[in-house]
Amino acid sequence: MTPAQTSQVSDSLDHLFRHHAGQMVSVLSRIFGVGNIDAIEDSVQDALVAALQKWPFGETPDNPRAWLIEVAKNRLYDRLRREKRSDSIDDETHELIDLHDRTRDTHFVGEFGEDELKMIFACCHPAVPPDSQVALTLKTVGGFGVGEIAAAYLAKEEAVAKMLSRAKQKLRSGIRFEVPAGDELKPRLDAALRALYMMFNEGYAASTGEALIRRDLCFEAVRLARIIAGHPVTASPKVHALIALFCFQAARLSARSDDRGDLVLLSEQDRSLWDKHMIAEGIEHLRRSATGDELSDYHLEAEIASCYALAESFETIDWKRILKCYDLLQSGRYSPVVELNRIIAFGRVNGAEKALEELSRLGENYLMTSFNFFHLTRAYFLAELRQNERAAEAYRRAADLTRNDAVARFIQKRLAEISKIS
Amino acid sequence: MPNYLLLLHLTPPTKDDLTNMSPEQIQAVIGDYMAWRNKIQDDGVYVASSKLRDEGGKFLSGVNGDFRVTDGPYTESKELVGGFFVVSAENYDEAVKISQGCPHLKYGGRIELREIEPTP
Repeated sequence: MTPAQTSQVSDSLDHLFRHHAGQMVSVLSRIFGVGNIDAIEDSVQDALVAALQKWPFGETPDNPRAWLIEVAKNRLYDRLRREKRSDSIDDETHELIDLHDRTRDTHFVGEFGEDELKMIFACCHPAVPPDSQVALTLKTVGGFGVGEIAAAYLAKEEAVAKMLSRAKQKLRSGIRFEVPAGDELKPRLDAALRALYMMFNEGYAASTGEALIRRDLCFEAVRLARIIAGHPVTASPKVHALIALFCFQAARLSARSDDRGDLVLLSEQDRSLWDKHMIAEGIEHLRRSATGDELSDYHLEAEIASCYALAESFETIDWKRILKCYDLLQSGRYSPVVELNRIIAFGRVNGAEKALEELSRLGENYLMTSFNFFHLTRAYFLAELRQNERAAEAYRRAADLTRNDAVARFIQKRLAEISKIS
Repeated sequence: MPNYLLLLHLTPPTKDDLTNMSPEQIQAVIGDYMAWRNKIQDDGVYVASSKLRDEGGKFLSGVNGDFRVTDGPYTESKELVGGFFVVSAENYDEAVKISQGCPHLKYGGRIELREIEPTP
């Protein structure tokens, strides 16, 4: 399979059940109310288990999705009745169930898309603690299991389960299942985009979690961002900028590490492994992001990512343009981590010596000195100036601060290279 | 060519096990079984398969011209037959070889293999 095909496959076949689960939770939340989230999740699980027990023997339905939702809906109906909450199923709900029955086979996709969108907004509601929003979105809309979320975050399953149950309490406390409108739209859209941005970065970060599941997080963020971009009320230049950023970054995922899981530097990446479909989609969204007059951080980050993804080679990367974007980013909301990235671009434009001066200024921030990438960056520029002893010292400090095996191996490799030269 | 019956025995998973499986894991298990079924279909040895309902089940026995009905199979053993496949094979060796590929074994189940007496 060519890399170009993989993104499409991972979208359609690979995670079919995961997506089904998310769609079922969303559509049932619309029909029965998001306040019933626990019963809804249990019923969806029932449906998946029913499939697990029947389908291996060949009784696969013609329309698996319709079959699953039918089973889930019936189980939920039974469950709510058993809990003597059938009075909470009012006439309107009955009507919705009928309507749902009639439209089941014809309007699946559009209907689900809107339900998933509303579910994203419910999970990213200001009442839900921001640090739980990503996990809750992954669990409900994304169809991720507790174990999978824990693996992505390098957290304990019990801790994730506890966090989710606290977050779901908020869902039960009267959050409305809707696409926000009016004055509410902007802040809530911003919150949802921030959650997706965090989801993507969680997946993209080289420092935590299992590689495969982190990759899934990235593609899930892309999928959910596409849903937001696909709705007339929520589509906006900022959303397109965010998807463009995701696409350019995700396109390079498979080239970022080699067969052994070792990190591969951008300058050494095999560009034929980059996902050309993803890059093309990124370009399209970047184009659509260029309407309107808002220049969001996502715009700037997308432009930076496009400089990497669209350059013919490492040598032809437009570092000046990248530096300009970083300057703009930093003039808005200063971040020491972004500053580190800015200095890398700065160094490509103005030389290693000047970059090291900037780095020593940044190093006055004591948080930075305990950050392994700070020392890695110093080592990188020191090695460029052939100050090999100082570079080796910086690499060793970075190694001391590194808990990720791939990064640790990367550092050891560089150290070996330096000692060979000197 | 004779037919062979594969009875797929399994110890029913606990409710906790099933609750904790993620959609992705469930899809993987179903996918394994489907891949095996497709393979034996492609090989032309697949004859039939069915799931047996987990719920219910009865044992009937004749007692002095009368008969007795008891609930089963749970009362007899914790293990139950989840379903069956019928495949065609030259002999037991070949039937065993076909059955070995069944993911049921990978997931901790047992397969009882019986040759079906051909009707003359």
